[in-house]
Amino acid sequence: METTELKEKLKVQIIQFLNLTDLTPADIKDEEPLFGDGLGLDSIDSLELIVLLKREYGINIQDPKEGRKVLVDINTMAAYIEQNGQK
Amino acid sequence: MMKFYIHKTTCISPQQTFGDNINIETLHPSVDNKLYAIEPAYPQFKGNALRRMSKSTRIGSGAALPLLAEAAQPDGIIIGTQVSGMEENGKFLNQIIEYNEDMLTPGSFVQGTPNTISSQIALISNNKNYNLTHVHRGLAFENAVIDVAMLLNENPQSNYLLGGVDEISFNNYTLDTLAGWFKKEDCLNSDMYNSVTDGSLSGEGAAMFMVGDDKQNAIAQLKAITTIHSADVEVIRIRIKKFLEENLADGEKADLLLTGENGDKRSLPFYTSFDSLFDNYTTIARFKHMCGEYPTASSFALWLACNFVSGELTMPQHMVKQQGTATDFKNILIYNTHKVGQHGCMLVSVPA
Amino acid sequence: MDRIVVTGIGVISAIGHSVAENHTALVQGKTGIIKGGGNFPSRYSGILPFGEVLIGTEELKTKLGVTEPGVTRTTLLALHAFNEAIADAKLTQNQLTAADTALVGATTVGGMCLTDELYANTHGDAENIEYVKSFDYASVNLYIQTRYGITGVINTMNTACSSSANAIMYGCRLIKSGLANRVIVGGADSLAKFTVNGFNALRILSDEACTPFDQNRKGLNLGEGAAFLVLEKEADAAGKKIYAEVSGYGNANDAYHPSSLSPEGDGPYLAMKNALDNAGLKPADIDFINAHGTGTENNDEVESRAMLRLFDSLPDFVSTKGFTGHVLGAASAIEAAYSILNIDRQELYPNLNFKEPIAGIGLQPVGVYKAAAIKHVMSNSFGFGGNCTSLIFSKV
Repeated sequence: METTELKEKLKVQIIQFLNLTDLTPADIKDEEPLFGDGLGLDSIDSLELIVLLKREYGINIQDPKEGRKVLVDINTMAAYIEQNGQK
Repeated sequence: MMKFYIHKTTCISPQQTFGDNINIETLHPSVDNKLYAIEPAYPQFKGNALRRMSKSTRIGSGAALPLLAEAAQPDGIIIGTQVSGMEENGKFLNQIIEYNEDMLTPGSFVQGTPNTISSQIALISNNKNYNLTHVHRGLAFENAVIDVAMLLNENPQSNYLLGGVDEISFNNYTLDTLAGWFKKEDCLNSDMYNSVTDGSLSGEGAAMFMVGDDKQNAIAQLKAITTIHSADVEVIRIRIKKFLEENLADGEKADLLLTGENGDKRSLPFYTSFDSLFDNYTTIARFKHMCGEYPTASSFALWLACNFVSGELTMPQHMVKQQGTATDFKNILIYNTHKVGQHGCMLVSVPA
Repeated sequence: MDRIVVTGIGVISAIGHSVAENHTALVQGKTGIIKGGGNFPSRYSGILPFGEVLIGTEELKTKLGVTEPGVTRTTLLALHAFNEAIADAKLTQNQLTAADTALVGATTVGGMCLTDELYANTHGDAENIEYVKSFDYASVNLYIQTRYGITGVINTMNTACSSSANAIMYGCRLIKSGLANRVIVGGADSLAKFTVNGFNALRILSDEACTPFDQNRKGLNLGEGAAFLVLEKEADAAGKKIYAEVSGYGNANDAYHPSSLSPEGDGPYLAMKNALDNAGLKPADIDFINAHGTGTENNDEVESRAMLRLFDSLPDFVSTKGFTGHVLGAASAIEAAYSILNIDRQELYPNLNFKEPIAGIGLQPVGVYKAAAIKHVMSNSFGFGGNCTSLIFSKV
């Protein structure tokens, strides 16, 4: 899959998975921080995104702290999926 | 003494009971034997705050926020609930089975705990004071009322946010229907009191009250409350008679009875026995065709009672079971049962 | 105002099926946390450590003479502890059924220990409907109420991990307000796929025995069990063994996050402070703290900070969760029982599995059993939703 396509797919999935009903994919910039200022997700969201990575891409992140290094923004997530994705 | 003054009250329910255009004259009908709450737009929940909320948390917080907006921080938040969060619990349960206990998302687990309502209200309003959730089924709200009455005795000149909240969820509706508490055949809320079968209609709602021991600006007074556990009609009758004798002054009568009659033939004997304690002075009215049956439905009755006693609302004809000769509703008695064995009685009056 | 005293205790946990058995294990430093105890069917049995009560549900039913359908494991554990407590307090049948005897319990699992049955029922399997009436939290106390004919105030609370501390507090307040003259207070929880998977999804379960207050702590172990206390006015307790006084209690909310505590620990700090104020005591009066100490990164650090904020000189403290695991709705009641034993026997039980203090905090819990002069014990519980409650027990 093309990286741009993957990033767009990711945005749709994140919105659905985290129930971010106020947002559209266009509202999420590739480089916008997911946590803190930016999208403002929190620790429960990071755990949910780790599950998303497992269910949709077969990636198993065991340590939530490792997960936060991957879950910086759409760019880092896409890059990680491209490197490690099983599906 | 188990009493306090109610200063403000709000209610999100299956009727038009919230916001600027409250109208209880028009009876909104049940759908598929359920009375779902009419929810407002929640403009005060910014951004994605709503996404994390179970329905109970949404309607509980939604009903509470207008009360908190105008007042100083309450000295405590006390909620009665039984089935709040069951929808979220159901989602989590489904995940457990579907994914065979592997890699589950925690959001619905966290949102499914019943103390989420009181905690979320505390979080939104940054309230670090006393915070408690009572979950004793059909007496969850009554226990919350008793808790607040005790708190006011312990801490004079305080104010508390008191609430009763429950939601319809797929799980609790299915389980309660299987257990025989909801009607299996089609039944409209406008017909439910004519039903001769077991079970009632499922409802939900959130009723919130700011209460304190200051009579000034109070719209109503909770004068007394009692809870009874029994399946014996005669035991209930004796206890309630005693409750009335102890709490109504000589010569005073209840002007209005609000009873939790709910179309379930098994609880009818209790209501019939209760009605017979009163003469043709007292008007007898029912409320569950408006809100449905749920464990904290008595909180909806308290909201109604506050509005009738203060004159804020007029009782619509669709509530009247038996018209009495009383012209003013100064003393309102609420009698409710839940699943036959739990009974609660509250006496609400004009502040005095 | 008459002091409120403890005249009866009942406990069932991973370290014993009676107060005496629990006490022996505490003194010997013998943990009840194991993998694969056999009574909890889950994919995690044998993989994750739990504080299991090593007695099967059917065996419990037989022992307790329970023949009615729909009685869950949570209720059975509660009944077991309840029976011990009321026998210990020598409550008569008349007293149990009197209108001035209250029952206040707590649970976070209730009937949801039957995860698979619940799912089956809600997805169309009407065959196994034995438990449809007992899925909720109130079912535990309602069963006890019916079985014993209790007619006084009955209540159930659920404030997550602080549930039974609030039940104990509420019971005291019922007596003080005149709504009861004696109260049986406590809580129960059984291991359930529901809570195991919930905590696992939050990634706060440890795959080893928990190490409260240790630098390398990895999370908590879930446990199951129940405990009840009988509380009476001192004047009514003449001729009875009095274990301790419930001298203070405090409740506060952290108002920070649904499942973790604020860095400064406002909720824990305020709960402890409120309890001290309620007891008319100062921090320096506390001889020992039974800490919440779950072994999670967040709780133990925040709890440490909150304790240091409040206490100029921190007294001895311990988390007993290394013995029992975190028993959620029953945790506070079980730990209250242990705190009362600290006073009754004038001794301290160790914080198991501790090796290294938390960096930057440096606190060290009590590591070995020892005799100690104990007058006032504080027992703390901090739960999800920021619900924090602190209890103080004192020697009479």
